[in-house]
Amino acid sequence: MVKKPVKVTRAAPAKRERESRPRTAEAPVVASNGAIRPAVIVVGADKGGVGKTTIARAILDFLSLNDIHARAFDTETPRGTLHRFHPDETMIVDLTEPADQMKIIDTLNSSQAKVSVIDVRAGGLSPALQALDEIGFFDAVKSGEFRFILLHVIGSSISSLEEIAEIAPYVADANYFMVKNHVNDTTFFEWDPQTHAKYFEDVVTSGEITIPKLSELAYEQVELCGAPFSTFVANQDAQGQPAEHSFVLRGYVRTWLARVADEFERVGLLELLGEKRR
Amino acid sequence: MTRRTLVFFVCSPHSRTGVTTAARLLTDYYLSRNVRVEGFDTDSREPLYALFFPEITRVVNLDEVKGQISLFDRLLVADERPKIVDVWHRSYERLFATIAEIGFLEEARKLGVEPVVLFQTDATESAANSALVLKTTWPDLTMSVIHNRGASPLGRNSLTILARYPASGKFVIPRLEAPIAQALDDVDLSLSRLIKEPPSGMSVVVRAALKAWLLPIFTQFQSFELRLELQSSECLR
Repeated sequence: MVKKPVKVTRAAPAKRERESRPRTAEAPVVASNGAIRPAVIVVGADKGGVGKTTIARAILDFLSLNDIHARAFDTETPRGTLHRFHPDETMIVDLTEPADQMKIIDTLNSSQAKVSVIDVRAGGLSPALQALDEIGFFDAVKSGEFRFILLHVIGSSISSLEEIAEIAPYVADANYFMVKNHVNDTTFFEWDPQTHAKYFEDVVTSGEITIPKLSELAYEQVELCGAPFSTFVANQDAQGQPAEHSFVLRGYVRTWLARVADEFERVGLLELLGEKRR
Repeated sequence: MTRRTLVFFVCSPHSRTGVTTAARLLTDYYLSRNVRVEGFDTDSREPLYALFFPEITRVVNLDEVKGQISLFDRLLVADERPKIVDVWHRSYERLFATIAEIGFLEEARKLGVEPVVLFQTDATESAANSALVLKTTWPDLTMSVIHNRGASPLGRNSLTILARYPASGKFVIPRLEAPIAQALDDVDLSLSRLIKEPPSGMSVVVRAALKAWLLPIFTQFQSFELRLELQSSECLR
């Protein structure tokens, strides 16, 4: 049975406190032996076209700009979109296949990259979380072996909002962030307070991330370039060679990327990854 | 020695202050000295500035990203060719918002392009406040004011009004008598050619009056240009 979000009394001060201080996983970022615990960031949604891969790309750029070595897994088989933009650090996997689960989970401790980003294909979030649950990943998270961060990208449809309840059973030990992606001018029922309140105001999250709008033309040019956002901003092509991208478009992307990074910092992503002291 | 490429934004947040006249005069000043210059008209509905210089200007619509690319990507080319942007009052907010958003000024300096704002004064307090906002946002921005005594007279309080503007320099465009000023409406009249070779059919009185009006304006532009050169000169630092 699908769990609905728990209704809580609308108490403004208490709610503000919860929003301003993100709920984080209880286990410390650093293990008892002093090593940083590996982190898994899952970016997903069951609804398609909400911008999951855009968020995953922005995350990889954000980690790279903060000198955090990360690897990525793209579950959009056989042709991964994330893999197209970040081929060097991305592997295409099928999260429901044990062999691919082993490639991810069994290498978390041995991999040089202490952060693994998983871009879950449309419709694959619930099955992916279920698969991770079945192999005992969440037990390992609970025991403090790994850190788990879920970026749930919300779409502007009721079915998308209902996913919030569907994935609730899996996020108890996660740092669960709802991501509102405005990159394509989407609204999230802010114009309908009743609907907005029903789905958003009572759900307990570690924070809410708002991805600002990016000019369509700029977005399309990065698509054509097929390179990370930061590579486009640096006026390089996908091979790292000097390119001739429009300065205006690079400027828009640079500003957008900076705002997205501000959002990630605001919700304490670096702290969760152990890169910044609280 | 390579010279900095000057990019002039002739602007005002208000209409009918003489922005197009100033942009036209500056363009003709360079043309009179045989300097290749490029113009940009941001009034895509009625591009009057572009009508005066159809061969060297382009009309850009700043409400569209394509128009912004057409303007800013070109302005960043450090080819030593002065570029003049006639900022339509309805494009004023959009222009400076885009400049801020894409980091134009910072990039321009890196590439050897020197942006200069020529702010058209008027008697309103809001115009001076708009100039102040620009200077507060970009303290290093070179800004001069243009006081067009014909299009936008400041009256008896002109000194007080001008003192509100945070500009480092001032240009004065004298008022022209109405019959003389009418001659300026002719889009085929080239002010740069008028100096050297006045049109044969033009009244001698109009010709003399326009020359007498133009020369002090061009002298002001020249001294401003020299001042900028001196400021950027390595040997004087």
